Amino acid sequence: MVMCYFISSMAKMKLLVIDDAPYVLKALRDTLEAHGYEVHEAVNGEEALAMYKEANPDVVLMDILMPKMDGVSATKCIMEYDPNAKIIVLTAMGKYGLEKDCIEAGASDFIMKPFKTKDLLKTINSLVKDERN
Amino acid sequence: MKGIEAVRAYQEEIIESIPSTIIVLDRGLMILYANRNYYLKSGKKERDVVGQRLDRVFSPMLIEKTRIDEKIRLAFNTCTPFSGGQLRYPGGLFFFYKIHPLKESDMSVRRVMLLMEDITELTRLEEELRDSYVKLENAYSELKEEDETKSYFISTASHELRTPLTVISSYLEMFEDGMLGELNENQYDKLAVMRSQTDHMIRLVEDILDTSRLESRKFKIQKQSIELEDIAKSAIDEMSRLADLKEHSMSLKLSKKPPQIMGDEQRIRQVFSNLITNAVKYTPNKGRIEVEIKDEKRYLLVSISDTGIGIPEKEHKKVFDKFYTVGGKSLTRESERMGLGLTIAKGIVEAHGGKIWVKSEGEGKGSTFYFTLPKGD
Repeated sequence: MVMCYFISSMAKMKLLVIDDAPYVLKALRDTLEAHGYEVHEAVNGEEALAMYKEANPDVVLMDILMPKMDGVSATKCIMEYDPNAKIIVLTAMGKYGLEKDCIEAGASDFIMKPFKTKDLLKTINSLVKDERN
Repeated sequence: MKGIEAVRAYQEEIIESIPSTIIVLDRGLMILYANRNYYLKSGKKERDVVGQRLDRVFSPMLIEKTRIDEKIRLAFNTCTPFSGGQLRYPGGLFFFYKIHPLKESDMSVRRVMLLMEDITELTRLEEELRDSYVKLENAYSELKEEDETKSYFISTASHELRTPLTVISSYLEMFEDGMLGELNENQYDKLAVMRSQTDHMIRLVEDILDTSRLESRKFKIQKQSIELEDIAKSAIDEMSRLADLKEHSMSLKLSKKPPQIMGDEQRIRQVFSNLITNAVKYTPNKGRIEVEIKDEKRYLLVSISDTGIGIPEKEHKKVFDKFYTVGGKSLTRESERMGLGLTIAKGIVEAHGGKIWVKSEGEGKGSTFYFTLPKGD
């Protein structure tokens, strides 16, 4: 069954995906575009803020372990620039306390890799729905 | 004659024969008396000792090192005993000595007694003990370092494995959702196998990481108010597909609705899931699996019973060991687990302050796993 959370009558929702693993970026782009989202990319924390300013996305999907600047610092940077930013941390790192660090940095949610696409879509849409209500 | 009077009659014999050295000195550090033990230990003759000053009898080096002469003078001047020091004799002998002022009837002190015990053997043992302790300490810190390296490796490896699994799982989901074109039955069949094997690999990675966390005591739980009934229901639902395949009947039994308790929902779900998975897998087709939650005074008691292959009594404790599989045979092919499920379940239950155990009448007679979770205040 096709899980379609995107409502076609709305303007395309913009997502910024930040991850240093090229195949994760590709898989997320393919999946999210197939579900009707507009996807922008950045490959490290340093690029993230510049890309955020340029694309002005509805939701950011943020990896944690990246070269140059890690996801927690990048989250802080974006939140400083835009306190209303919606950031979902997507990480493969199972370090205890990391979730707390991310939430404290301003992330709205925390999802462990690997995840189910439908769980990710649910989280993205719940954030945007919060916004619209 | 009794008491001290009785002893007086042979006190000289006692002093001469006790296995300690006794030397009596005067204020000028002249030796007035030494008992037989001293001559035995030192090999000296009485005529070379009695009437001589201490520094002519004890080697100058010995006196230099221990400052025993000063301590004797101090005992004279203060009229208080010196409670102990060590003497190292040439030839590797060790003595423990005390200086005791001998009070005259007018309470003055004109003589002191030097008491010496041979502690060579004791010292040797002590040194051996100290050596072993140092060796143990070194071995411990080496092991700890190795253990940390191992934990680091496992955590890194698990991170590295999760990343490609994320990619594989995402594309599988796109195929499953028909987003990459309609699949025919044959393709869908093969895709289902890929999905189940991918999910299996994801669980293995999680299990390895959990086991490593339990071992390095980095395992933490995040407690919140939870409904055990809901968790049990969803865990049963999750396993129902596999149970249907084996035509098992599964049920949840409650006498009344259990109260909410504090616990880590995700982790408790994992306990249910691991125990139910085992029940389903170790029970031949058309079996019965029953989950029951009982409200006891201070805790909730959960039992998961099956009509499966059972566990011999001598292995009831071992089932919670790492890599355990029933009967010691490698059932991992069939059960597709590494034998970590129960180890992890035990770790989670114990982290909540509960207990976990198993009862089984023996092989072929089914098993019941029990665990408790405290209700708290």
